Amino acid sequence: MSWFSFHFSDFALSFLGIIFEGIPFLLLGSLVSGAVEAFVPRESITRWLPKNYAAAIAVSALMGLVLPMCECASVVVIRRLIRKGLPLSCAITYMMGAPIVSPVVALSTYVAFRGQHPLEMTLLRLVIGFLIAVGVGMAVRDIPAANLLQPSMLDSLPGRRRTGLSMAVAGDDTAGMELEAPGVRQRLFQAVQSATADFLDVTFFFVVGAAIASTFNTAVNQNLLVPLATNPALSVVVMMALAFALALCSSTNAFIAVSFRMFPPSAKLAFLLFGPVFDTKLFFMYGAVFRRWFVLSLGIGLFIVIALICNHLGLILNN
Amino acid sequence: MTALFNRWLPGVTLLAWSVVLLSFYFTGRIASFLIPAFRLNVLLAGLGFLVMACCFLFLPAVANCCDEESCGHPLGRRKWGRLLTFSILLLPIVTAAICSPKNYGADTMMRKGINMDGAGLIARTSTPKMPPAQAAGDPTEPPLPTKDGSQPAAQAATPATPQNAQSAADQYLPKSKDGNIEVQVIDLLYAAQDSSMKADFEGKTVETIGQLMPDDANNGSGNRFKLMRMFMYCCAADAKPIAALVEAPEKPAAPEMSWVRVVGKVDFPVEGGRTIPVLRATKVTQTAPPEETMLY
Repeated sequence: MSWFSFHFSDFALSFLGIIFEGIPFLLLGSLVSGAVEAFVPRESITRWLPKNYAAAIAVSALMGLVLPMCECASVVVIRRLIRKGLPLSCAITYMMGAPIVSPVVALSTYVAFRGQHPLEMTLLRLVIGFLIAVGVGMAVRDIPAANLLQPSMLDSLPGRRRTGLSMAVAGDDTAGMELEAPGVRQRLFQAVQSATADFLDVTFFFVVGAAIASTFNTAVNQNLLVPLATNPALSVVVMMALAFALALCSSTNAFIAVSFRMFPPSAKLAFLLFGPVFDTKLFFMYGAVFRRWFVLSLGIGLFIVIALICNHLGLILNN
Repeated sequence: MTALFNRWLPGVTLLAWSVVLLSFYFTGRIASFLIPAFRLNVLLAGLGFLVMACCFLFLPAVANCCDEESCGHPLGRRKWGRLLTFSILLLPIVTAAICSPKNYGADTMMRKGINMDGAGLIARTSTPKMPPAQAAGDPTEPPLPTKDGSQPAAQAATPATPQNAQSAADQYLPKSKDGNIEVQVIDLLYAAQDSSMKADFEGKTVETIGQLMPDDANNGSGNRFKLMRMFMYCCAADAKPIAALVEAPEKPAAPEMSWVRVVGKVDFPVEGGRTIPVLRATKVTQTAPPEETMLY
């Protein structure tokens, strides 16, 4: 059997499967984003954040517990939250944390790993996911927003922020001033407008990512990966590469991870940690918000860190 | 041109998405793409798109975000970018909606790797609910002994026997009109891993349905074939092919990947160091595809 053979009808089946599963959540994210734009005053976004920097990052990483969003929806939401004044590092932390540190993900992981140390796997996924989100948040703290965000995103910010939690309000004094407060009907329509604009913009990248993932899913001979499962270090890398290529939803990928029986637990954990924060569709979706160098650095950095952690844990988990 | 980009194209795109989602939901085609738990989301999203499309198409105000300096949509302010956005949003989904089949082809199934081992699969959501172990007299879960080695009173009062389990199993297992136990391929794979389920099926005449695929391994006599189904965890993208072996009196005449109904007795031999289900068929007939081609 050749390693690659493309059939459009099978591609269409897989492609629509990803679209139908993901689009409702993208729409939900867009509606939340639209509602934030229309109804949440700019200054109230940062009010609930702790003043202490580390605490603010930690709270952002845990926000998925109260505002659970899958990885696609969280990208849409943080775009709006950044524009509304949420510190960039906190927004990125939420984007990294929400797809893993969430009750839905915890439950699905526990159920999927029944009979295969479900509690340990769930706790490891949540705790390491949290630590990674915090780590990324801390790492971007001192990088100027201009170096991270796409120019179009930067232009739309309420004020030019410098770095981390620092917010420059100078020059933004007209932002909150409105000659006449809009009515509820106007705000509702504004919410729909914003939601639609966000949805169309991010879905473009989602569609591209889903198409690439479906091509891999149906055209590439996945049996070729099986022999790589016997090497613990290599198996971790292979499962992370699979997580990137398959672009599965974070709330359900545990069921797929568990079906790779020949792979050791450390490789499955790597699959569960890497996929929700960086995969084919996210690569394109992140590109709608962040500069390419940052997206690439983020992907490479996450890949190395998660591979190292899981390889290290493999010494305990795989025995 | 502004009205085209700000009103008509977003409106038509949303409307097209709505039509695709709602038509798949109401025609039942969605069953080949999603498990039931996610299907309602498609309906809600389809209705949501419809409302949003109406807002754009029929309300007097127009979306003008991308005309403003503050617009942050990367493709928003460039004409080619907008055209590309709407092309990507419309063409792939509409083409895929028209061309998508109900099931994968043989080549793709082989590429996904066929699973013939139930140990790596999660429990089916549609599996008939088993009665509680105590009521069924589950022989696989004997009561824990007490310190002095005697049986706990409650357990000793209702001793579990294989006969009790058999009669309970006969009550809950669905039957075909010929009186055979109706099973799915996935049930046979689970049964090979679970002694209580194995007892329910072993030696019984069962009836099942699947796609026929030749078996190349351990098939000296040439009368064995794989009975395949796609097992979906959440959506069609994550569906994996599963198969049980069927041993027929003679090589079936049905073409490869055609749907067949198999009637036969279930056996669980150990082959290659693993317990596997083998359906020793008495009857193999070509049949129409089931309403839901994927298991979940």
